[in-house]
Amino acid sequence: MKKSKKVFIEGPIPPSFIANSIEKHQTKTTIGAHDIFLGQVRADKIEDKVVQAIEYSSYIEMAQDKFDEIRETTFDKFEITCMHIYHSLGIVKAGEICLFVFVSSPHRKVAFRAIEFLVEKIKSEVPVFGKEIFEDQSHIWKVNQL
Amino acid sequence: MELKILYFGMIAEITQKKEEILSVQEKCSLIELKNILKNEYQGLGSLSFKVAIDRKISTDSILLDSTNEIALLPPFSGG
Repeated sequence: MKKSKKVFIEGPIPPSFIANSIEKHQTKTTIGAHDIFLGQVRADKIEDKVVQAIEYSSYIEMAQDKFDEIRETTFDKFEITCMHIYHSLGIVKAGEICLFVFVSSPHRKVAFRAIEFLVEKIKSEVPVFGKEIFEDQSHIWKVNQL
Repeated sequence: MELKILYFGMIAEITQKKEEILSVQEKCSLIELKNILKNEYQGLGSLSFKVAIDRKISTDSILLDSTNEIALLPPFSGG
């Protein structure tokens, strides 16, 4: 088992963090293709109220185990050079980034397939819970569509 | 025996606590525990949730042990 990597970030993921992450890969010259998935909080309208933010919480210990397992499965299944996963905890406002998944490989097709596999696994298997908060501070609990 | 149970998301809202210690009979199965909790917390009855035992999603027939960490997990909504 590889050492666990830190996934959770308190609050939104800043676009500058994503840019820095891309920049760090410029020394890895066997890479020919990067694919990036960014999850952004939607201002959904639900019964006349507009979502202002999502507050994320998690069963962190289990989530960390799951992220490690998903990472290993993805490395076994696809010929990728590296991957990075970051997920927000706490409040993320509409329009801000809550999930950043980054896959790199020598050629594009593997990167396309690996990123979809990873994002679907994260959405369906990792115990993260999103509370959608409206302008009047009332809330409902989000459920992922599979 | 005593079981430690963790609650998350909308389930923690229903139980109004994040964790508790519950006394149950020896060799209590997960399905038995679920029934105890559904009796205690009315809101749980209509809810679909999974149970993780020692951080792994578990099946109803498993027998519980006082060393287990039991967690009630509502539908996931990460990303």
